[in-house]
Amino acid sequence: MTLVALALTVLASAAATPPPPATPEPGIGVPRGPQLSGPQLDARTDDIGALLRCPVCQGLSVADSPATMARNMKAEIRDKLAAGYDQEQILASFERSYGEFVRLEPPMRGVNWLVWIGPLAGLLAGGAVIARALKRSPPQSADAPGVASATSPAFDLPSRDTLPADARLAAAVRRVRTLAYGWPDGISPKERS
Amino acid sequence: MSTAATSSVAAERAPRVNRKVIVAGLAIAFPLLAVLVANLGRDPHSVRSPLVGRPAPAFSLVPVGGGTPVALDALRGKTVVINFWATWCVPCFEEHAALTEAARSLPGVQFLGIVYEDEEARTREFLRQRGSSYQSLMDPEGRTAIAYGIFGVPETFFIDGDGRIVEKYVGPLDRGTILALAARAKGGAR
Repeated sequence: MTLVALALTVLASAAATPPPPATPEPGIGVPRGPQLSGPQLDARTDDIGALLRCPVCQGLSVADSPATMARNMKAEIRDKLAAGYDQEQILASFERSYGEFVRLEPPMRGVNWLVWIGPLAGLLAGGAVIARALKRSPPQSADAPGVASATSPAFDLPSRDTLPADARLAAAVRRVRTLAYGWPDGISPKERS
Repeated sequence: MSTAATSSVAAERAPRVNRKVIVAGLAIAFPLLAVLVANLGRDPHSVRSPLVGRPAPAFSLVPVGGGTPVALDALRGKTVVINFWATWCVPCFEEHAALTEAARSLPGVQFLGIVYEDEEARTREFLRQRGSSYQSLMDPEGRTAIAYGIFGVPETFFIDGDGRIVEKYVGPLDRGTILALAARAKGGAR
């Protein structure tokens, strides 16, 4: 029973796997990896498809795109994996046709290093700037000058019971009080008592 | 009192910090602006084919309507013009006549069509109606289109007698351009 199942699996995988090419593929040489089959082949096809740009789409990977071209490219990836080509060889084969553009992740070489290092360098530089700024102005306690808190004098607004010293302003405040609070003559109940 | 002292320190420090910020900002912004300006006139869809100057990818494809497969290797020594096209592609209609005519007037140049993502029956009907002076080949799984780095149709490759791609042309061709590029590919073979 197990033998029959094993034989069937072997037969199925033999049918699904095209024979490895007799001559090395131009530009990428002879297969360097294991010849994949079954679920592993499906998984790796998707992995590599996610690293390739679908040339006829707008910013979609080969794995994500429903376009015929993407489907054809997926079939090509599958065949190459089944023949034993590794990820880098497969990416290189598409790059030979489409240029570096076809890779969704720029390869780590030449000026591309900037893309990989740039964000990290920016983050470090930004962190350094913040660290220096923090060092320069040590944390101040709540009662220290220059720190505006809700209890600090800067926020200590006059209560609604006090009137400004200026007579004209005081008259204006009274009028507003009358309108806002309905106090007769704008005199607060506290002032009255 | 102490608040005033703090603000006066800040006022003293402000111009120095600002200059630093401006220099840093320019250092970041200037290269970005330079890249922007340098690429303003560029078509974002045009990607230079890395295949130009390289050996043309080999293929062996069955012609529309069947028959013996046509292999590129068998055409070594001849100038070859390979036109990727489809019946659903409107610009391909326009250039079809120009290609047919150019193929008639250039007997030394081998013209080939490769059908891109299209059905054989529709292609055969198209060729029957419009006529053609050269063979079109079916590329059922699009392998050849992928090998040639096709982004869309029409795209045309001019290959010299050594099997090297001399030129890739994206978009519909007119007669003059075909003759000029074919002549360049022919020159490369000498």
